[in-house]
Amino acid sequence: MWDPMTLPADDNVNPYTFCVELKGSQWFLQKGKMIAYYGSIEFNGLGHGRLDRLLRTSFHSPLHASDWVVAEGSGKMLLADRAFDVNSFDLDEGNLTIRAGNLLAYQPSLALKQSIVPGFLTLIGTGKFVAASNGPVVFMEPPLRVDPQALVGWADCPSPCHHYDHGYMTGIMGGVRALTGLGGASGEEHQFDFTGAGTVLLQSTEQLMPELATGATPHEAGVPGAHPGPGSGHGQQSMPRLPGQLGDLQRRFGL
Amino acid sequence: MFRLQGSRVLAVDLTGDTVKAKNGSMVAYEGRMAFKKTTGGGEGLRGVVTRRLTGEQMEVMEVSGQGTCFFADRASEINLVSLRGEKMYVEASNLLCTDGGVRTGTSFTGLRGGASGNGLFTTTLEGTGQAAIMSDGPAVVLRVTPQYPLSVDPGAYVAHQGNLRQSFQSGVTFRTLLGEGGGEAFQIRFEGDGLVYVQPSERNTVGGDV
Repeated sequence: MWDPMTLPADDNVNPYTFCVELKGSQWFLQKGKMIAYYGSIEFNGLGHGRLDRLLRTSFHSPLHASDWVVAEGSGKMLLADRAFDVNSFDLDEGNLTIRAGNLLAYQPSLALKQSIVPGFLTLIGTGKFVAASNGPVVFMEPPLRVDPQALVGWADCPSPCHHYDHGYMTGIMGGVRALTGLGGASGEEHQFDFTGAGTVLLQSTEQLMPELATGATPHEAGVPGAHPGPGSGHGQQSMPRLPGQLGDLQRRFGL
Repeated sequence: MFRLQGSRVLAVDLTGDTVKAKNGSMVAYEGRMAFKKTTGGGEGLRGVVTRRLTGEQMEVMEVSGQGTCFFADRASEINLVSLRGEKMYVEASNLLCTDGGVRTGTSFTGLRGGASGNGLFTTTLEGTGQAAIMSDGPAVVLRVTPQYPLSVDPGAYVAHQGNLRQSFQSGVTFRTLLGEGGGEAFQIRFEGDGLVYVQPSERNTVGGDV
């Protein structure tokens, strides 16, 4: 049983619930992750005029603006997300990149930026943030290859690259295998490859949190993840692939 | 006698007495047990009619016998509550099992129920004994005192007990209509003296995304 005196300040209440103490301070919060609060706390969308100065220093992701709010006031507030494990992390003059759906809240002393990797956000600076994961978080050191679905984020190391298992992907049979799964695809042909010094954060399941509808990268040349607009690209049709169509095989044969 | 076997299975030791449990929630038993389907939550004819009218339907069975009976429902976390005469309010869908000495009924919740997506009525528990309440993730029990009122997201609310007044708080402003809302447009505010159970997960509610 908890009351405002016994609730921890900026710490976990249980593995699934985190308590934030506000003393006239502000926290950035993903929409709808507050489950209860004591005291007087106000939640404002980022479009609120008064927050302009705060946004200039700590929020640089216009595409996620509609997912985030600022909580300010005094009191204690409980955060939780679909009964997933919730953990807080401290950054000290560091940087950390995390899947956009996993980040719940952060202190404004950190700056939030959109990572160059689509669907990820980068936090830079000093402060505390709260993240959710499906099962407890595991910390690993590069060099390391991880399953794309198990990746939560990474700190201090360079962005990952894609890695494909070679044996599976060469030749005509490899192409057929990659496209159809016939002939023994293990489902683990594709990994993210981390090198350099740093920490990689993994969750202990491969079940992803639902992607947020917003947060797509701008349609601009040179931006990874941007879908080529009509007219750009090299004459590739952007029609959805029909079942039975050979897909990328034609490109292997140079057609 | 209620006890937890892990956090998601309820074990009830019976010595000839009767408990009421959600229909179909028995997973195993030792000894001799009899399961009897009841209509209208075992509240008699009046209960049948009220529950039908209010939509706060509850499929309940009566379990009696000698031995231990185990209950669980969709791997929900189970919270044990002891009642000593006070009244407890809980959503019928979150109620797993009650002692024979606990009476159940329905009451009107008003706008709060509508916002939490659970209908305008809720189930009340009264009497002396134990009850088992389910939540998505272990529930956090928060004490409300006159100095410290509590605001709760309707989607995370599970149950409350004690002498509490609840009011519906809305932060809807013109900014909400512009899509720049605070994300927490609706809250239930509890004032008075009592306990509120919240779960670390939000149901989909009417005001959920506002």
